[in-house]
Amino acid sequence: MAEEFEPKIVAFLCKWCSSAGSDLAGVSRMEYPPNVVPITVMCSGSVSPLYIFSAFKRGADGVLVSGCHPGDCHYIKGNFYARRRIALVKKLLDYIGLEPQRFQMSWVSAAEGKKYTQIIKDFVQELKPLGPQTKLRSNS
Amino acid sequence: MVNLEDLKNEAHKLLKEGTVKYIIGYERGTNGLLPIPAFIKNPEDVERLIWDPTCVFNLTRFLVDEKRRKASEKEPDERPVGVIVKGCDSRALVVLLQEKFINRDDVYILGVSCEEAGVLDEKKLAKTLKGKKAKNIEFTKNDNFVVMTEDGKTEISAKEILAERCLECKANFPVIYDILLGEKVKRKSDKPFGSLEKFESLSKEERWTFWKEQLDKCIRCYACRSVCPMCYCDECVADTINFAVTADTTAEEKAQKIKWAEKSPVTSENFVYHLVRAIHLAGRCIDCGECERVCPLDIPLRLLNKKLEKEAKELFDYEVGFDPDQPSLVSSFKDEDPEDFIR
Ligand code: SF4
Ligand code: SF4
Ligand code: FES
Repeated sequence: MAEEFEPKIVAFLCKWCSSAGSDLAGVSRMEYPPNVVPITVMCSGSVSPLYIFSAFKRGADGVLVSGCHPGDCHYIKGNFYARRRIALVKKLLDYIGLEPQRFQMSWVSAAEGKKYTQIIKDFVQELKPLGPQTKLRSNS
Repeated sequence: MVNLEDLKNEAHKLLKEGTVKYIIGYERGTNGLLPIPAFIKNPEDVERLIWDPTCVFNLTRFLVDEKRRKASEKEPDERPVGVIVKGCDSRALVVLLQEKFINRDDVYILGVSCEEAGVLDEKKLAKTLKGKKAKNIEFTKNDNFVVMTEDGKTEISAKEILAERCLECKANFPVIYDILLGEKVKRKSDKPFGSLEKFESLSKEERWTFWKEQLDKCIRCYACRSVCPMCYCDECVADTINFAVTADTTAEEKAQKIKWAEKSPVTSENFVYHLVRAIHLAGRCIDCGECERVCPLDIPLRLLNKKLEKEAKELFDYEVGFDPDQPSLVSSFKDEDPEDFIR
């Protein structure tokens, strides 16, 4: 029997909240799937659409951008800019025919280790039936 | 109707009085129906100027080049450059002003209204004329074009040969100008995003197949980028070398630079280029249609640009190119921006 497909998720996590949230999940020994490649960024607002396209190009099956809840951004407005930009990227990726489930955004605070693990669990479950992402992946 | 003589007179006056350093307009070319850009310095040369539905180019692109040239001059001529703009082109100016890429004082705007017509689509015209060559083309009152070919006159309905963007134009007259020629009347246009409907009704896999086929054709000549007034970045992430290398750049620094996209025209790299291009033009593309017109592979780039224009309108109620004082789409937000997609 073929091995079950394990999706690879690239997660851009804000240093001040979601990244700390994922650490909390770790130190609290909460269990969640090991499918994530976390990349700490200074703010969800610093995630360029190019990072997202590039992650898909380098073989990500799913991409997550996670920042502080509205009103909690360390730089005050970064996550509001992110919200707009990500909405557009989401529409664009859907438009060109990428499965919309492959690209997600979330708000996760430093205290929400549990929410973080749930988001990852759900994401993995949604990606599994889709199989590997080959549309935007580079073959070289 | 825009009276060509009025346009010439205005241009003449501006040059004669030295109000502008030169005027960018249109003149007849030597090959085919489409004009070529004219750069007029001497008042007598205004005779070369033309204005008709073949004036498709967006001349504001030359302001980008002008800015670069000026920056390299030791004692630049500080007078404004005169530029002839249609409705869509004027909206490109609005964006350039909004982004403070150019200053209002650097440009003297000669606005020409398309009134009930617009400009034609060369490819559509060629198809309609089935190989015959058009010599002259005029718009008539009853929404027709009168086209002169070697066999004489034919009347063609405007819809058949007008550029797609003109059929959906939001204001076919300049929204910003120093002098306006013609009336601010609007063509009865089709639904603003009508041309997207057919495509949007396709399934996800059909959409993917379509774009893969289209973007796989791209040879990365970057004609679309060169012609676009909004693609004015000095460095582009699409280029293999996307950072300034100076004598002081160390090998270490060079080694650490990320290559975002290879120039090889393969699916993955072409998608990075086109996705970046589309997103970077969101809220900035004013639908002048130039990118699609110049693409040697006939890739329907407008379909990408227009989609983001539509989303900007629907999600954020953002309309591009009308107000130089409004903050740009991605450098602003509203508290009530949608977030139902966020977990
Ligand atoms: S993207 Fe194309 S249609 Fe839009 S402003 Fe640039 S050249 Fe014009
Ligand atoms: S003009 Fe056409 S072929 Fe050239 S880079 Fe643009 S899309 Fe590709
Ligand atoms: S600092 Fe966390 S989203 Fe801005």
